[in-house]
Amino acid sequence: MKRPHPLPDPIIDAARHVTRREFFGRSATGIGTAALATLLARDGLAAPSSTRSNATSSRVGGLEGLPHFAPRAKRVIYLFQNGAPTHVDLFDYKPRLRELHGKEVPEDYVAGKRFSTMTGSPKGKLLLQNVEPFHRRGQSGAWVSDFLPHTASIADELCFIKSMHTEAVNHAPAISFLLSGGELPGRPTMGAWLSYGLGSETDSLPSFVVMTSVTRNTTCGQIFYDFYWGSGFLPSRFQGVKFRGSGSPVLYLEDPTGVSRPVRRQLLDDVARLNEIKLRDFGDPEIATRIAQYEMAFRMQSSVPELTDLSSESASTLEMYGPDVRQPGTFAYNCLMARRLVERGVRFVQLMHAGWDQHNSLTTELYSQCRDTDQPSAALVRDLKARGLLDDTLVIWGGEFGRTPFLQGNMNDRKRWGRDHHPYAFSLWAAGGGLERGLSYGESDDLGMNVARDPVHVHDFQATLLHLLGIDHERLTYRFQGRDFRLTDVHGKVVEGILA
Amino acid sequence: MRSWVLFICLCLAGTVAGESRPGAPDFTRDVRPILGSKCFRCHGHDARARQSGLRLDEREAATATLRSGRVAIVPGDASASEVVRRITSDDEDVRMPPPESKLALSERERKVLVEWIESGAEYDRHWAFEPLRAVALPEVRRLTWPRNGIDRFVLARLEREGHEPSRPAERHRLVRRLYLDLLGVPPSPAEADAFIADRDPGAWERLVDRVLASPAFGERMAWDWLAAARYADSNGYQGDRERTMWPWRDWVVDAFNRGLPYDDFTVWQLAGDMLPEATFEQRLATGFCRNHPINGEGGRIPEENRVDYVMDMTETTGTVWLGLTMNCCRCHDHKYDRLKQRDYYSLFAFFNQTPVDGGGGDPQTPPVVEAPTDEQREELERLWRAVAERVEAVVAAEQTALARAGDAPGEPEGETPAVETPEEIRKILERPARDRGPKELKKLEEHFGSSQPEYAGRLRSLRETIERRDGLRRSLPRVMVMEDMEKRRSTFMLAVGLYNKPGEEVSAAVPVSLPGMPESLPRNRLGLAQWLVAAENPLTARVAVNRMWQQFFGVGLVKTAEDFGVQGEAPSHPGLLDWLALELRGSGWDVKRLFRLIVTSATYRQSSRVSPALLERDPDNRLLARGARFRLPSWAIRDQALATSGLLVARLGGPPVFPYQPEGVWSDATFGKKKYRRDEGEKLYRRSLYTFWRRIVAPSLFFDVASRQTCTVRESRTNTPLHALTTLNDATFFEAARVLATRVSEELPGATGRDLVVRAFRRVLIRPPRDDEERILVGRLEALERHFAAEPQAASAILSSGAAPAPETDAPARLAALAAVCNVILNLDETLTRE
Repeated sequence: MKRPHPLPDPIIDAARHVTRREFFGRSATGIGTAALATLLARDGLAAPSSTRSNATSSRVGGLEGLPHFAPRAKRVIYLFQNGAPTHVDLFDYKPRLRELHGKEVPEDYVAGKRFSTMTGSPKGKLLLQNVEPFHRRGQSGAWVSDFLPHTASIADELCFIKSMHTEAVNHAPAISFLLSGGELPGRPTMGAWLSYGLGSETDSLPSFVVMTSVTRNTTCGQIFYDFYWGSGFLPSRFQGVKFRGSGSPVLYLEDPTGVSRPVRRQLLDDVARLNEIKLRDFGDPEIATRIAQYEMAFRMQSSVPELTDLSSESASTLEMYGPDVRQPGTFAYNCLMARRLVERGVRFVQLMHAGWDQHNSLTTELYSQCRDTDQPSAALVRDLKARGLLDDTLVIWGGEFGRTPFLQGNMNDRKRWGRDHHPYAFSLWAAGGGLERGLSYGESDDLGMNVARDPVHVHDFQATLLHLLGIDHERLTYRFQGRDFRLTDVHGKVVEGILA
Repeated sequence: MRSWVLFICLCLAGTVAGESRPGAPDFTRDVRPILGSKCFRCHGHDARARQSGLRLDEREAATATLRSGRVAIVPGDASASEVVRRITSDDEDVRMPPPESKLALSERERKVLVEWIESGAEYDRHWAFEPLRAVALPEVRRLTWPRNGIDRFVLARLEREGHEPSRPAERHRLVRRLYLDLLGVPPSPAEADAFIADRDPGAWERLVDRVLASPAFGERMAWDWLAAARYADSNGYQGDRERTMWPWRDWVVDAFNRGLPYDDFTVWQLAGDMLPEATFEQRLATGFCRNHPINGEGGRIPEENRVDYVMDMTETTGTVWLGLTMNCCRCHDHKYDRLKQRDYYSLFAFFNQTPVDGGGGDPQTPPVVEAPTDEQREELERLWRAVAERVEAVVAAEQTALARAGDAPGEPEGETPAVETPEEIRKILERPARDRGPKELKKLEEHFGSSQPEYAGRLRSLRETIERRDGLRRSLPRVMVMEDMEKRRSTFMLAVGLYNKPGEEVSAAVPVSLPGMPESLPRNRLGLAQWLVAAENPLTARVAVNRMWQQFFGVGLVKTAEDFGVQGEAPSHPGLLDWLALELRGSGWDVKRLFRLIVTSATYRQSSRVSPALLERDPDNRLLARGARFRLPSWAIRDQALATSGLLVARLGGPPVFPYQPEGVWSDATFGKKKYRRDEGEKLYRRSLYTFWRRIVAPSLFFDVASRQTCTVRESRTNTPLHALTTLNDATFFEAARVLATRVSEELPGATGRDLVVRAFRRVLIRPPRDDEERILVGRLEALERHFAAEPQAASAILSSGAAPAPETDAPARLAALAAVCNVILNLDETLTRE
């Protein structure tokens, strides 16, 4: 869209099409470096980074000195499985559970441990074997159950961590803990930290995008709280932008009826020209930022509809993601969208899929849960690999904790078999940028109850994720209420054993 | 050493915070921040984290001989101080902070520490904990500028640092600034013109008094208080059930409007229920404490919830009144402030006495008060009276008609009833008439319907009145309030904050590093509240005036409004902060008076224009050499759009409303469990304060607002494309643009395009447009009028946007063009900004 009134003012030109950072970088306003440094520090923007990942993308924002070292991954797609997938039915094969099926939990496995009120005391609970059989998959021989045939087919691409453990036993605190390092709302989530630290690779889309979905007809009552993608005490521009599952993916993206694109452009030209007059009169650099942000708003009005226009996707690609892929709001659609987002420079894509809370539906809803997520997840990894994006994109699949190896419900009522929340051992998989392929890391004990070898605490996992993105988790901090906060609180150790 | 001193002086000359003269390092301003961020983690207040037995947070300990025989700090002798040897060493095994801590000292920081030790290593008590003492107004050279005490402090610092204050802002801008700051809505052009034309002395002060008397004042001030009180219209968490705390919100508005002193405002909200013969209003005020989220997630342990709620009350009180980050002490002694874990649970003990049990997710968890509106209260009283009258009528009938029939309960003993009365009916009749419920009355009615029609009629009338009364009572909003149980609940320190890991028992007490509670005060919530507003308390008044200052200048004198501890920022004008605190307290905690003091100062009235040189020197305007300029809160941007278009319905109070929100925002967040049902008519145009606040998904129109999850006393202010999309395209804003266009056109029939544009511009920005601004807007109006003449459908779509009736016009193209121009005006940086 050509602008009709090129004013010969270098300040204005700078302000119009470039970001605030670049704008200041030119020092054309007479704003000196000291003022600049303060203003940028305040907004969490830093001096221009010379990092250019390739010819077409350049970094917008981010902190000076980041990444701390050469990153293995440049972007993240987190396929978050809300509700906690059952590790002993999907990834963590325990023949011993078959042997002891129906027997009481040995006391020394659960002594002193806290469970949700639904379980109360674990004493006398009956062990429950895996619902579907497991098989070794691919050359790596990783165990994956028949619940997930598509995931099984890409096992050699994946790195399974089977010794995860966490601290909370309820969903919201545990999800918050995994995504922000703290159980209570109020801390920045991973995507916010990365947007803050590394900036964005695009100026026409947000750097942190969230999409949610839920398995149809689930009885699960989970809710997506916006603090799952919050920026906590970081400036709110770093919070995840939730793309909606129906209607326009971004609120207020569409011009009011009667305002055509050319008219909108003209009106924005006027806004810019009038703001430029204001900038000259008052000298407040915030005005220049505003001009730049209105321009990005205009670009988003085109870039977001382009993003969701699937006409350029081949039939075979669409087929790979499965039958739901054309249906906005499904996990399959969101997976495809995740690939399109990272292709366009988005730093952190967080898909959240709810329904994994099988308190009484291991033999019923778990099947539809897996059907809805298995094929698209595997397709995404394949698709990224085929496009050469998997090398520097990190894909993570997992929930907030695991599920009890013992039964919730009545052993004689197979239709209502369930498992309760279980923080002491669970599994997730990750793939791509900088991770070992075809690896199964860590072990739980013979009942899948507690971690037995190479424990990976949530903070360790977070430290490792940051490490893969070239960040020392102890040095990405933000001062709030007099304390330097970080994603990993005061803990966390990089899990060297999973790095390629 | 001399070059270091010179270097340090240069550094300090460049710093903005702090009023004192540059020179030797000042402990509070220069040294404590370094020790705090780089040393105290291992050598501070927290005994468990302390390494090598060394603590540097107290002079006595820091200058004592260590086990090793060395002395960490030798006052006046840097070279003999172990600290200096350690921080300057090249040997990684010796150097402090150790490399693995990743807390390296900068060259400047090392030099500050060395110079401080050289100059005698004096420690100060933390400024915020020092008692408030009378402050003399500083001397200034430019005697004509100051209008009140505020200006003396501000000017003294400006003169010291070689700056001049800015000129006063133009009257147009000033009047808009004042209205937006005090009322959250702009003046009408008539109000503005009246002030602009008033050239008599005292015009500004008269305007200030008029504005302070507006009921919109309370609505504006309530917003920030609601954010601090984490107010919402639902519980939060899974289920997110609706609650009816809004009568408490209306109380806050009213308290501001009638100027309830801040000490009463404090005591009533924390402990109004415990005042002698507490009034309804005083009990209602304690709803403040109960605004926390309630977790109704299945499987949650009730005691864990209950402890969470008490922690929330404790921490909210700590932040709002003491400016202290108590939450750090849930699990351990504070790393930086002299707060111990014991202090946390001692404060917690004050709030640990409510009967709330943490179970379920009932948003009306007792204790509650019923909070009828005035109309409801009158109706209720009328119904109570009506019930009493009808009871009497029934009694009278029973004494006459029934006695004759022998069915009356008072029948003479030994006589046989003429008619056999069923046992059930007899039992009912044996009870006094006033004690019979609707079901019983119904049975009597049925029994006597045919035999005693007149009596049955009276019964029916009584029953229906009771049902109406009870129905009304059930519909009354119930507000969760505070109450203490008779039997005190024991309070224990909780290991790492876990409800099920109780340790040592503690009793209710205030933090030991603050002045203690006088003996005369009870050791309960009331005593705590009274201690907060007692003259000995150094924090409450400072913290309060700082938040008030923040409302007018965008940033507090202490930037970290939530943290007055050692890690918080030192005040930019410490003398001014204390002077204001004393003004507030000395005036009987008169909040309106303090606001008046601020807005009548010359400091407040300065122009917000900034030169490149001043921007370079003071980008954040901490010196106050210019007026503040910052983006309006998003809620005020909406209120402004409604007000300027004339859509705003300025009715105070009442249940929350449901204005425009795009389809699906709630159902997306709740899997369809919660559906947003938009209101119609007037409720679309109430002030933002009344918009229903669903805690798990805040109204989509507002940005940069407190999440209402936990106490927030400082709002963020960001600048993103999503905000631009909101004000460009949201239904509220676009409807306001087209209604503004209609309004202006109707006011000026037959006007030129230029007149229309100027009128619309002035409605929003008060000032007239400059020539170049006018040319751009008039040019656009004319061009778009041609465009819409060729696109009549587009014009008609614009003119019918929103729920307001479409205008009747014979010039739709011009009106649509003007609406588009108004959309531009409502999106100008100046419109979005208070300057």
